[in-house]
Amino acid sequence: MSRRRRYEPKTKKNSTFGLNITSMTDMFTIMLVFLLQSYSTSEVQINPENDIRLPSSASMTNATESIKISLSGNALKLDQTKIADVKNADFLPQDLEDKDTNFIKPLFQELDKIAKAEDQKDKAHVKEGRILLQADKDLPYATLRKVMYTASMAGFPQLKLVTMVGE
Amino acid sequence: MRRARKIQVDHNSEFELDLAPLLAVMVKLVPVLLVSSAFVQMMVIETELPQVVNEAIQRQEDQKTPTNVALEVDPQAIRIVITEKGQEKVETIAMKDGVYDLQGLHNKLVDIKKAHPEVFKIELNPDGKVPYDVIVKIMDEARQARDAKVKFPVFDTKQGKNVETNYMFPEIVFANTMEG
Repeated sequence: MSRRRRYEPKTKKNSTFGLNITSMTDMFTIMLVFLLQSYSTSEVQINPENDIRLPSSASMTNATESIKISLSGNALKLDQTKIADVKNADFLPQDLEDKDTNFIKPLFQELDKIAKAEDQKDKAHVKEGRILLQADKDLPYATLRKVMYTASMAGFPQLKLVTMVGE
Repeated sequence: MRRARKIQVDHNSEFELDLAPLLAVMVKLVPVLLVSSAFVQMMVIETELPQVVNEAIQRQEDQKTPTNVALEVDPQAIRIVITEKGQEKVETIAMKDGVYDLQGLHNKLVDIKKAHPEVFKIELNPDGKVPYDVIVKIMDEARQARDAKVKFPVFDTKQGKNVETNYMFPEIVFANTMEG
């Protein structure tokens, strides 16, 4: 009995095929338009902190180069580095000056260090004392005032409040 | 004489556009734009102003007894304290349904600005318990007139005439920051 040969489809080993990329180009064009709309032209990149909900404002002013301070319900940070703890919307007693409870010791030390550092002190934002403050919208003014007071004492009186656009 | 050869054009022929180079450019552009896109737009509140308004603020500071406008915000109400020629006038904006009446505050500030167009600076004295969010909203109400039709006169020294601006009190000072 002769064995039947298995059916093998005919394939051209050296053939090429054309991929239809029209739909992919369409998709990329839509993406490009969307990304161009949200393109940031600000000279300073502000990274929103995870645990901070910023207040919204009608202000449309872009940020300029400044020392970045963030104040959340848990911590006070200077350029992403935690410098003091916050508990129940207030600073811990050990971080505050005994005689002046508005004075945050670690913040003053850090800002003073920046103001006196050889590589920093000649920069325009340090000379002018510019600070960008990101603070949680639910924090009371009393907590913010301590940061403002200490920054002002350390020679950084130009405070700029970071806000979100729209509601 | 030889006749010119006529090139035959097939008007019904189809051709495929080569989209591959276009796609290659897009594939490179998309990651670049993704990195530099700001999906959360963040702005700052500050006092960078047009030159005319800046000069007007300077003139206000040069006055010996300038009119002073202060906002006192406490958990119950907002008080506007206007000090003019040594006399103090207080206007209170009570809360409406448990929230600050920001529209009422804005209307009052527009009236004050109309009466005192030379004043650009406002002092803000919030109580320690007032949330930061409320303070930012109050600053928004004071900075500019919401209605684009409402304009205030400012004297431009360069042009030697009055020009119009919708800035009301753009220079906001936290007056009680240094208080104990």
